Amino acid sequence: MRVQINFDQCEGHGRCAITAPAVFRVDAEGYGQVAVEDVPDEERARVERAIRLCPKQAIAWVSETV
Amino acid sequence: MPIDPALLPFGINLLDAPLFTEGKAHEAFRLLRRERPVPWHPGTERLNGFWSLTKYEDILHVSRHPELFISSKGIVGAGLRDDGGYVPIRPGDGGISLITMDPPRHVKMRRLVNKGFTPRAVNAMEPSIRKVTNEILDRVASRNECDFVLEIASQLPLAVICGMMGLPQDVWPLMFELTNSVLGAGDPEYQSEVPEEVRGSGEAERQTSMGGEMRMLGYFAEIIEQRRREPQDDLISILLEADVDGELLTQQDILAFCFLIILAGNETTRNAISGGLVTLCEHPEERARLQADMSLIDGAVEEILRWTSPLHHMSRVATADTEIRGQKIASGDRVIMWYPSANRDEDIFPDPYRFDITRSPNDHLAFGIGEHFCLGAGFARKEMRVMFEELFRRFPDIQTAGPPDRLRSTFINGIKHLPVTFTPAR
Repeated sequence: MRVQINFDQCEGHGRCAITAPAVFRVDAEGYGQVAVEDVPDEERARVERAIRLCPKQAIAWVSETV
Repeated sequence: MPIDPALLPFGINLLDAPLFTEGKAHEAFRLLRRERPVPWHPGTERLNGFWSLTKYEDILHVSRHPELFISSKGIVGAGLRDDGGYVPIRPGDGGISLITMDPPRHVKMRRLVNKGFTPRAVNAMEPSIRKVTNEILDRVASRNECDFVLEIASQLPLAVICGMMGLPQDVWPLMFELTNSVLGAGDPEYQSEVPEEVRGSGEAERQTSMGGEMRMLGYFAEIIEQRRREPQDDLISILLEADVDGELLTQQDILAFCFLIILAGNETTRNAISGGLVTLCEHPEERARLQADMSLIDGAVEEILRWTSPLHHMSRVATADTEIRGQKIASGDRVIMWYPSANRDEDIFPDPYRFDITRSPNDHLAFGIGEHFCLGAGFARKEMRVMFEELFRRFPDIQTAGPPDRLRSTFINGIKHLPVTFTPAR
């Protein structure tokens, strides 16, 4: 599963990097960044939580059906 | 006219300030969550009725659908008592403020100032926040007692927000006073501008709030004029140059921005710091755990936020017929999101009535969530963290010397005064 951040929504609250530090980090400008696009299974629950808790609803799974 | 208790769910009147100031609100919310989680609060001739939301998931749902539950019809609909003190945030006065704005304009307006509030911006401010904190503590260090709210907790957020807005230090006390008039208008202590015989009434509340607002807007109108002539490196100057879709902000837009930011920036964090010290003194084991290992501070800050919920509520109005937890909500109905209730919701927080500085996860809603998530959350967290680090480093034995004097409000979980004692630092 792949995850992405919508940069039109992200305000740089940095909660994703605290909730799932193995997958998200904060870039030099303070905005969220996906460090590991292909999310390993053991990180999936934490990413789900980050998606749910993102204050600005900026994070989403990427549809695999391309 | 007071509301007939027979019409209220279990006789609980969530607009009755003593419910909060006397600490009975949590018991009331616990009953409502279990028995009637979406109760209707009937209106009076002065106040429209509303639905109360007491469950975490329902507040999450409403917060995440800003087009279905809008802010532009007022966000403190139930902020005051129901005996005539109802003062809705008036979108016409002082322009439309960020907090009473809906998307898509809200998204664009927020982006104008967002850069000043990112973690990077907050971290860059940390040394100056720590310096200001120590200057505040220096002023009381030779004594062994003080009013923690007036002399310590209120001073840090006031200095930070006034600094960001470029306001000279001699007006900070005025900003503090006017903030109390606007946001603490329902409390007789802040009604000194109205005749003594009407103090404590709804009319006194209305006059106090309006009077504070007029003086605040008058002051900012002057400052804005100064910045137009001589731009500075501050938030107001940024707003003067900012545009949305190619159009500069109007005078009303900028006034509303200033009004919101000064209020939100100094009232809430003050109460989170004061409420935090009260909570830590009431839980000596957790406090000792923190003081023995200050690396636990981030968790402690989150738990203080969950425990105190500095804002009691925000409100929205439905734009279409919908349902919440099976309850039909009609288009035009008002809903009130009660944050202290969400933050003690048994379905989300195991053992929610336990204060635990290492609670994990701790996904409280003290800052709200979604479109209107607190813009200043990063600053609030940082100011709380630095304040408790420095406070316990310099005054490790600080103790409350009496009960907190609480603000009469159903909107803000405020503390007006808090006597504390401590050993003078050398």
